[in-house]
Amino acid sequence: MTRLGRKLQTFASYLAAPVVMVLLGASVAQAQAPPVCSVWLIESSRFMKVPFGAFMPDRAFVPGSTDKNNNIPTVDLPVNVGVIKCGSDLILYDTGWKQQDYLKMTGSEHWAPIGEQLKVLGFNAGDVTKAVIGHAHWDHAGQLSDLPNAVLYVQKQELAAIEWALNYPEKHIRAINSDPGGCNRTPACGYMPLTMEEVYGKVLKGKAVVVDGQLEIAPGVIIHPAYRAHTAGSQLLEVPTSIGKLVFGSDAFSSYEAIRDWMVANVQQTDSVQQFLAYERCYKITGGYENCIAAHEPLSYTDKYPITKNSWVALNGGRMAEIALAPGEKSRKP
Amino acid sequence: MAAALIVCPRGACVVRISAPREHRCVDRAAIAGVTSLNTSDTAFARERPIPTIGVPGPRPILLTSTVLVLVALVVLAWQHEQRLGTPTPVQATSQKPEPRALSAEEESYAASLWEIHREVTPSAVAMSFAGIVYETGSRDKDQFERKISPVAAFFKGAEARVRGLPVPASLLQVHNQYLDALVLYGKASNGMLEFAKDGERQHLVEAHDLHISASQAILRAGEVLWPGQYKPH
Repeated sequence: MTRLGRKLQTFASYLAAPVVMVLLGASVAQAQAPPVCSVWLIESSRFMKVPFGAFMPDRAFVPGSTDKNNNIPTVDLPVNVGVIKCGSDLILYDTGWKQQDYLKMTGSEHWAPIGEQLKVLGFNAGDVTKAVIGHAHWDHAGQLSDLPNAVLYVQKQELAAIEWALNYPEKHIRAINSDPGGCNRTPACGYMPLTMEEVYGKVLKGKAVVVDGQLEIAPGVIIHPAYRAHTAGSQLLEVPTSIGKLVFGSDAFSSYEAIRDWMVANVQQTDSVQQFLAYERCYKITGGYENCIAAHEPLSYTDKYPITKNSWVALNGGRMAEIALAPGEKSRKP
Repeated sequence: MAAALIVCPRGACVVRISAPREHRCVDRAAIAGVTSLNTSDTAFARERPIPTIGVPGPRPILLTSTVLVLVALVVLAWQHEQRLGTPTPVQATSQKPEPRALSAEEESYAASLWEIHREVTPSAVAMSFAGIVYETGSRDKDQFERKISPVAAFFKGAEARVRGLPVPASLLQVHNQYLDALVLYGKASNGMLEFAKDGERQHLVEAHDLHISASQAILRAGEVLWPGQYKPH
């Protein structure tokens, strides 16, 4: 090879090296970037005509008031369940509850079994690989036995707090229900036997992960603890999507309007300071409040809660929304 | 918006177009489809009717069509607004029965049973937690037995106490349902104790199924006796 040829070869290798490095870097970055997920929201059921003040104290109805915060007497509260498809994983965030005939009098309507609702979206109950419960109250952690292949994710603090309350000597504090009219905020309130036995059923079958703090359960899908934001072991779920990151909050995010307006909502075993810190977590992760997914927002499935507006009426009058689709994912909206 | 009224006495149709501020007085016979029309408003009475023979002419047809199109537009707009606004249930799931008010005798029974029930629910949940703690932590059968033994004793005593309650005839079915639940809880706790002795996990699986059945049964009974016991959470 001539001198000129060698020089040209050297020059070419110098030129090629950075190009190869850039290409390698890009492919590595592509491999490391978490894939985005597809997300739908389904209404497990709807609590009808709940006094607004019982849901949000700052929105309590004042007869004759013209203040928009105090002129609505009752609201209908959906019980929202997140359906999240990430690659081969099908994840539920909260699992609703199993309304049987005997619970129709509790003031709820539009219930349909979780398996039937998943079929509307083209999935089967057996396809669910993971069930993350935001907390273990009866209207959020039911139907677990109908998800035979799902691994349950529950926060360690949630279980510890229930066990603590059960062993407390004062009978009102250890009561699941403190009186026949129902409990509101006592420590074990809301953890009914059927729900807790279903949680135990998952543990017994080796299909439960007791989470202690933060945990990434799929690429980019991250459980964040939100201790005492609704219950002792509340947990949020961060989900990467084509429209940005979403954060599901269960009852730590009971109301979209509450997150937007910085008000407490659905105060049960809630430390209001921690609830606000959970709101802040969503603002930080998603860059605002629009991508915070609330469990009981009365405006769900309307354009007044924009992320849920791409909605339709499905089984038994219950509603569904298609929130985000991953590239190549087909729309499930009829 | 204009309103159209088409009256066809003996085959000859009359179309009247009126503005809403105009007062019309149509007698019952006209509403029922009988061919008579009375008017008490003089302005309306002075309106010149459009006479037709058999088939309405093009003008009434045009006017009627315009009115129908306007009505259809209003209906469509209303439906559109309904979809955009706070939704109302599209279809009711079922007729929601109102809880029947209990008689004084029934109230007395419900109050007596509540005193037992308020300890039944935490005891049932305590069984679940003994299992959860065993499976996720200690794997200590002695500790597991120490947790289940008092629960098993409680359910035995609770069953006896419930059997001793005076039961109104109207609540006998509910009473028996509650008793069945206590029996199932008792069997479940005994099954868990057997596991503590022989380590056979099938006892735990069977106990779990019994617990689920019992928990559903006390919900059904509770729905009659204490319908507000679970609130939205």
